[in-house]
Amino acid sequence: MTRPLHSMTLSRASFTIVAKELRAEFRSFELIISTLVFVLIVVFLFSFAFDPTVGESRRFGPGLLWISILFAASLMLQPSFSRERTNDTLGALRLAPIDPFAILAGKLLANFCFLLLVELVLLPAFSVLYDVPLAPVAAQVTAVMLLGSLGIATVGTIFSAIASQARMRELLLPLLMLPALAPVLIASAEATAGLLSDPPELQLNWIVFLVAFDVIFLTAAWLFGGYLLEE
Amino acid sequence: MSIQRSRGIPGLGVSVLASALLMGAAGYAALYVAPTERSMGDIQRIFYFHMPSGIIAFIAFTITFVANILYLVNRAPKSDWLGVSSAEVGVAFTTVMLVTGPIWGKPVWGVWWVWDARLTTTFILWVLYICYLLLRGLLDDPERKATVSAVFGVFAFLDVPLVYMANRWFRTQHPAPVLLGGQNSGLAPEMKWVLLFCFIALTGLMLILLRVRYQLEALRYEVSEMKVIADSGSRASN
Amino acid sequence: MKNMGSIMAAYIATWAIFFVYYFTVASRVSRLRDDVERLKQTLGTQLRR
Repeated sequence: MTRPLHSMTLSRASFTIVAKELRAEFRSFELIISTLVFVLIVVFLFSFAFDPTVGESRRFGPGLLWISILFAASLMLQPSFSRERTNDTLGALRLAPIDPFAILAGKLLANFCFLLLVELVLLPAFSVLYDVPLAPVAAQVTAVMLLGSLGIATVGTIFSAIASQARMRELLLPLLMLPALAPVLIASAEATAGLLSDPPELQLNWIVFLVAFDVIFLTAAWLFGGYLLEE
Repeated sequence: MSIQRSRGIPGLGVSVLASALLMGAAGYAALYVAPTERSMGDIQRIFYFHMPSGIIAFIAFTITFVANILYLVNRAPKSDWLGVSSAEVGVAFTTVMLVTGPIWGKPVWGVWWVWDARLTTTFILWVLYICYLLLRGLLDDPERKATVSAVFGVFAFLDVPLVYMANRWFRTQHPAPVLLGGQNSGLAPEMKWVLLFCFIALTGLMLILLRVRYQLEALRYEVSEMKVIADSGSRASN
Repeated sequence: MKNMGSIMAAYIATWAIFFVYYFTVASRVSRLRDDVERLKQTLGTQLRR
């Protein structure tokens, strides 16, 4: 099978799609706002259920933070592909003379941005509610958030493409994502916990692990993701 | 079973009988031939089925991984049949692991479950491949089913070593009782033979389960093909 | 043997899981082979028409 000629390079096509996704969301911000509210509710529910002491908050905070992000992502990434089904806009995208992976990459990057935006608001709220000092380690925490969120966005976007083709997709996406992202949960929570401990330490092994996770799954997405977009 | 029916698996009856005998012998060996372990006592005999099940489950999932990639590359239905068959057999063996582990653990550790790296990874492995099978059930179009589940299968397989590593490192920082205790520490030679024998018996069982499950998938395909022909034929003659 | 109950439980569980699995697959295979025969006959009569 000869590869079709692409009128745009992969990166240009991807960025065009990222721009389209961002523009669509920034019209109403409905996805980000709903996700934010959801995450804050989860955070509050945890404190009602466990009524943590200050020490317990600091101990369980990082894990709770990342579980909330995971829950949020598993709901937020659902529309990524399922809303393309209403008017078969995905079919229209596929007709464009671009590498199919560009569609995937574009949505992946856009989802990554959305996740980061949610975390941008979530982190200060988390810092206040659980009395954890994030400011002194802001740069390192940012690094952990970036790496962890990239892993979540990668796996989440692929699984969103998978789930959107099946029945019960609203339940299916969290069902597929949460066990698969367990390594990201562990690594990110541990790295965050290390940064919040006294004295703060940046645990390089977890950082390296997250980088490896991201590289492995981005490569897998590049190699196999195209098959998900076929007719 | 009517002997006029075509397409039976040649030699299946003999194989099943042989496998049953082999499994019986392996069970006997594990119970009476193997020496009693020093620290845990007789309960350790569960190990002779528990550990090989784990290895065989992993082999089965590796077969699924290869079959998934083969399907994505060549789109042969046979690759898809192998993939799903091996995944189901793998889930069966993983279930055995997850059931025998706690039965072993309760008398030894006093608790049914510990979150050590091996058990946790086994659990996630089990969940991921059950998701693989569930996903297939939720996809209707046969080609989409095969393609989409193949991609998921690839991701699931790549995920497992990462799950294990993350749990290992986590457990070195936050130690939990290791349920399976140094399973390879100080295995007497007689134990190694029994272990090998049980491993061979379980491998034979896996091959039979795989073969029969594969035939089920092949038959389903044949039935759906014939139904298509039958439908179009009846439409044409009406 | 000490803990015989647990050992037996583990063995029974193991055999039960494998046996139930094999049995469900084998019975579905048997039913499908009947279906194949039925369909072959249906197609045969269709072709003769």
